[in-house]
Amino acid sequence: MALEDYRNDMEGCSRCSSCKWVPYNQIKSWRFAKNCPSVVRHNFHSYSGSGRMITGHSILLGRSELNDDVADMIYKCQMCGACDAACKVYRDDIDLTEVLLELRAHCVESGSLIVEHMMMLDALKAEDNVMGEPKAKRGEWAEGLAAKDINTETAEVMFHAGCRYSYDEELRPTVRGAVQMMLAAGVDVGIAGKEESCCGARIYELGYRGEAANYADDLVSRVKASGAKTLVTPCSDGYAALKFLYPRMGKDLGCEVMHVSQFLGRLVDEGRLRPRNEVPLSVTWHDPCHLGRMGEPFLGDWAGDKLERPMSMKRAGKKGVYDAPRDVLASIPGVELIEMERIREYSWCCGAGGGVYEAYPEFAVWAARERLDEAAATGAEALVTACPWCERVFRDAAAESGSSLEIYDLADILLKSL
Amino acid sequence: MSLDVQQTISDEAYRDLEEAVGPENVSREPAVIDCYSWQPFANDNPERWVIRPVAVAMPGSTEEVQALVKAIGRHGLKFKAFSTGWGAYSSPTSEGVVQVDLRRMDRIIDIDEKNMYAVLEPYVCGAQLQAEAMKVGLNTHIIGAGPSCSPLASATSAWGVGWDCCYMSYSGRNLLGAEWVLPDGEILKIGSLGSGKGWFSGDGPGPSLRGIVRGSTGALSGLGIFTKAAIKLFNWPGPPQIKTTGMLLDADSEVPENLRFCMTFWPDRKSQDEAIYKISESELPYIFSRTGLGATISIATPHLMKILVKTKAIRKAVTADMKWGCTLIMVADSEGEMAYKEGVLSEIAEQYGGAVINLTEAKPVIRMFLMNFLRGTAVPVVFRMGGQMFTALDRNDTWDAQMDWAGMGETVKQKWIDRGGILDDMADNPYMVTYEQNTWGHCEEIFQYDPRNPEHLAALEPIFVEFSVEAAERCMEPLSSTDARLRKIISPMMGHYTSWQQKISGFLDRDRAADTGMYCDEVDFDVNKLEPEMRSRIEKLVEKYSWTDEGPPE
Repeated sequence: MALEDYRNDMEGCSRCSSCKWVPYNQIKSWRFAKNCPSVVRHNFHSYSGSGRMITGHSILLGRSELNDDVADMIYKCQMCGACDAACKVYRDDIDLTEVLLELRAHCVESGSLIVEHMMMLDALKAEDNVMGEPKAKRGEWAEGLAAKDINTETAEVMFHAGCRYSYDEELRPTVRGAVQMMLAAGVDVGIAGKEESCCGARIYELGYRGEAANYADDLVSRVKASGAKTLVTPCSDGYAALKFLYPRMGKDLGCEVMHVSQFLGRLVDEGRLRPRNEVPLSVTWHDPCHLGRMGEPFLGDWAGDKLERPMSMKRAGKKGVYDAPRDVLASIPGVELIEMERIREYSWCCGAGGGVYEAYPEFAVWAARERLDEAAATGAEALVTACPWCERVFRDAAAESGSSLEIYDLADILLKSL
Repeated sequence: MSLDVQQTISDEAYRDLEEAVGPENVSREPAVIDCYSWQPFANDNPERWVIRPVAVAMPGSTEEVQALVKAIGRHGLKFKAFSTGWGAYSSPTSEGVVQVDLRRMDRIIDIDEKNMYAVLEPYVCGAQLQAEAMKVGLNTHIIGAGPSCSPLASATSAWGVGWDCCYMSYSGRNLLGAEWVLPDGEILKIGSLGSGKGWFSGDGPGPSLRGIVRGSTGALSGLGIFTKAAIKLFNWPGPPQIKTTGMLLDADSEVPENLRFCMTFWPDRKSQDEAIYKISESELPYIFSRTGLGATISIATPHLMKILVKTKAIRKAVTADMKWGCTLIMVADSEGEMAYKEGVLSEIAEQYGGAVINLTEAKPVIRMFLMNFLRGTAVPVVFRMGGQMFTALDRNDTWDAQMDWAGMGETVKQKWIDRGGILDDMADNPYMVTYEQNTWGHCEEIFQYDPRNPEHLAALEPIFVEFSVEAAERCMEPLSSTDARLRKIISPMMGHYTSWQQKISGFLDRDRAADTGMYCDEVDFDVNKLEPEMRSRIEKLVEKYSWTDEGPPE
């Protein structure tokens, strides 16, 4: 694909600015009415979904040029999909996220690169993770666990921890706990340990499609060799890649893909995990973008006029994972869920996605603080989510702002109750 | 109109803009300012780009607006301000214009529950204000362009009609006071604010300049920049928040017990019109709209519409059998009041042979559409069918006159549907509401098109011209006279009204710092590019109706 292939999408923009707002039915206050961290932070229309489409259109027509400043503007976006979900409330004929991805690929092809992203790519090539951590240490999080080694054994379920959970020492207990619960429930689960590689999702979003495809091939072959019937990941970014990106690239994993919140929920439903202990905590749930609206399964490509596209083939975010984590929370005695104003398809992004955490950390933390403010406004004691990137930036933001809000992973809370 | 993308701003002028609003809030990067040049809505130029501003500046306070307009004037540039910026009328109309984007000014300064008004900055949108107002039992008028638009902008500067006009009037009538930065940077406070008495009245004891501020349409930044305004709020007898799941077509709203959602159908136009007068006089509706079934189907189910238009029976039902009807929402502060309203509606139906379908109990329907009627949440769905829409010139008049206009609109639209210039919505898409529970109303004819279809793009200007000519031939004022080309033709037929606007502009803006292209400028229109029949009609109009120095024509 090339920018030209999205000309119809870009020309379709009516500049109504719906991409900047929570879908109007769901605006509940002045304070939390906006949905796009990028344009709220930077204000110029060019930082909105509409603005980026117009930028692409302008570049395509030769009215303006791609330079370092413009690339910087293009990349100050979490790729959270909030603009797309809001646009698709009204439109069938525009795939806003696709345009944003294409614009980034265009930046890469044109050599308008962001230094921090190049460093991520170099790190990935050297160590198979975007964090630049040694590959040899990737499996340390699982030391002492009784999970199978899928490099030498087969398993019913393969657990793909993802880059951040594997290396972020503050978050490692979460994935250890998740696997412990699976083992306790009698799940035949295996991991790749130090042989696990990045899924490629993050660099795909940065515009490096070729490299992303290579990592997809690696994971596909690993899953097939493991004999796993189900692939479980706790990483929401990874989940979106496996559910949407891989099939879109024609990479067939040949197995069921589940986020850990779904899988743990299944174990609870089947009675294989029984939350018994009281966890007296009022919580609010943050829908990770890539678990929710961006975690929608690939619905197939629509080759015809998008005006004629049936709604069932629109990637509108409705089929993302929203209920499974809420059901898990509901199953835990003592936990009270208080919803924020912006939830589900119109959730506010944590700020970490799309390479923003690495290239523009202040912007990432600012977006996270906005979310913490919204969470605090509910009166909840804790914010719970299920994505390592969200958790990392929330913890950073809470530390910076002195927020008293506790940050938990869903798996942590469930573990407390067992 | 030149769409030159090469125009630039001097370094010195740019530095002054940075000084006024901060360097992080100004840009002249072509890719950034081009994002202010794409305005396909309300733009009959097939290019859909508008004149590119030389820079974009985003002030964050009244003081910054003052400093900005002074800097712009000092350098012989012009300014064009917008709040939410949707539509070509938000954009520069000449070269050397700095686009002033007011989105940093986004506070609700006050909601005065007792005196029923809110004080706002420009970038507060209608949905935000409504959400906050409902918490204290109040509501705000939402304009037809939807809840993303700025109440301040529509009250001070641009149109302002909506489904709730029956109860909450139109935006210009709800302006209670304003803080107004004149083109030379001075601040003028109008209404009671102007005498330091607060915001409660638009007509004093301070200076009432609402007529000058608004006229019928608004000056669209042509007279300066409004930085704060007080907007009248209205009673809302419903809950502080209407609990809703879903986003639009999947929406499910809890319907307040003291709300009724009714569709009415009438045997013929006369019965409908008489009934609507009665409904208005009886002060029944909180929300009122003439029901356009073609509009409803094309907007809610555009895929289905493309099939239905080929079905003769459906087309007949929409365009003839079920043509005369209106939709209304009634609310009440008591059971007794609701019983009274329902009784009156039944009596009106009986008197004029109509049918009232109370859809309040039809839960899937009302629960899906409730927020749309209260907040206008479905407005951008009008883009689903083709990707773009336009509205033929709107006008305000008695309901009878509006119905005449709607009939003419259907005829013109059908012609262009037959020619393949616009999409087929059975030519049944009038946007019609009543004002202030009386005989006065509003009508505009919506048409949908595909902006990627060259034939549709080519038809835009001829359709626009045809509606204007039709209006003039009927001695109807085409109120959307924001087009400087049409203004030059039409103004002489209407007592050269633009000359008065130009005098006002000249008095308030001696340095000509405001972009007045949408307000009072006149530019030549090359009628030779029109079809001969249309050219001839314009020439006859000019000859027949234009005023001379001696006064109006015989």
